[in-house]
Amino acid sequence: MKKVIVIDDEPFILMMIADKLKTAKIDVITLRESKNALEIIRNEKPNLVILDWMMPELSGIDLCNMIKNDPDIAAIPIFMLTAKGQDSDEQLGLQCGVERYITKPFSPKSLLDMVKEAIGNE
Amino acid sequence: METNNIEHDLSLAVHELSVAYEELSLLYRISEIYASLSVDEICARIIDEAINTISVQTAAVLFLDEKGEKLYTKAYRGAWESKREFPKDDGILWKTIQAKKSCAFCKIKETEYSGYIPMISSLMVCPILGKAKTVGAIAVADKEFGEEFFSKDSKLLMAIATQAGLAIENAFLYSELETLLVGAIRCLVKALEATSYWTAGHTERVTEYAMGIGQTMDLESDLIEKLKICSLLHDIGKIATPKEILNKDEKLSDEEWIEIKKHPIIGAEILVELKQFKDVILGVKYHHEYWDGRSGIFGLKHDEIPIMARILSVADTFDALTSDRPYRRKHTKEEAVREIMRCSGTQFDPAVVEAFLKWVNLQRRVF
Repeated sequence: MKKVIVIDDEPFILMMIADKLKTAKIDVITLRESKNALEIIRNEKPNLVILDWMMPELSGIDLCNMIKNDPDIAAIPIFMLTAKGQDSDEQLGLQCGVERYITKPFSPKSLLDMVKEAIGNE
Repeated sequence: METNNIEHDLSLAVHELSVAYEELSLLYRISEIYASLSVDEICARIIDEAINTISVQTAAVLFLDEKGEKLYTKAYRGAWESKREFPKDDGILWKTIQAKKSCAFCKIKETEYSGYIPMISSLMVCPILGKAKTVGAIAVADKEFGEEFFSKDSKLLMAIATQAGLAIENAFLYSELETLLVGAIRCLVKALEATSYWTAGHTERVTEYAMGIGQTMDLESDLIEKLKICSLLHDIGKIATPKEILNKDEKLSDEEWIEIKKHPIIGAEILVELKQFKDVILGVKYHHEYWDGRSGIFGLKHDEIPIMARILSVADTFDALTSDRPYRRKHTKEEAVREIMRCSGTQFDPAVVEAFLKWVNLQRRVF
């Protein structure tokens, strides 16, 4: 079973993504806080991480940089979710090695399609 | 047991939330279609949204003809009889138009409408309503999974149709206004040209040449539109030039040339009230400037001269050279092209001349 970790401080977004991904038989771990996320990602070694950009304590970009600097988990693809929509933000996100940059509100259906494409559909 | 119920309710709530969020994201994306004023672009966009959001294999936008008597296909993707017209009161598409709400026809082959559109097996239609009148309808057919359409699909299609109706009507209004504006300008130009037989047709030809150059230079579409208006208006200042000078059958004296040379500035003064046309006015004002700044009326040079004026300068000269004048016979097209090449870098912007030559080559068969 493929595994995805979703990190967002909005509980409804977490529940909705989990609900959608579970329909495709994907194992989902949801985290409301980013501060312990790095350790959990190291332990769980998911196939994909979906990250919110704006989170208290540790921003999505900072966490993304930490993941990409850890050789054990650097290869895990990352989707960045955010309410920001400017081009410059997208540039910054993509420079950090983000696979996809998804602006809220996003289509849950399209997100699922993108997830399947990124992790392979088994 | 109770925990199970709560979990079940929560799961339903989350699922509902997901549907609502899907609709919200659709509205968010589709609201951007207002930025487009091209009906074709709007139609292509709503078809993409319908196919992706509702997960269907086919989508079509149908427009009501002017008399409101038949529906015809404006744009589509998937399996659709694009050439077919649907006359009034004929079948299920019209039912929707008349009911003014979305209708789903699932398992169409098992209903009285079997064979209505043979290649599809389930259909959902929603009217596209503008503020003033019905624009047409959007139809989606054959879901990717299963044959049934659900109320959430209907909600999504209605959301798309509502936005589409307003955006399309908006684009129609814009296009009507534009036609009215260009029509009014053409009338003005005709009135001007009626006063001088030497310049009959000059404006339309210059407009054609300028548009050719502009398109070859890959200018943005709104700049091309402005260039068109600028070309149509470029000689409007000649309205104030004495008729005796415009119609003189001999070579002009120095004093008469001075009169003629006032027309760009007079043109700009006439147009000054058109606040939205600031750059068009500058194009009119500076269309007799020289690229090197040596012989123009205002002495601007290089990039100081607006791009529309630089293009007009080449188009205007080309038409003047290839038209008869009271004091000389017209040049051949080849001679005129050579003259323009000779003056590249002095009178004309070399980049504009380059585009002009490319355009001339494309037009060879016409010349």
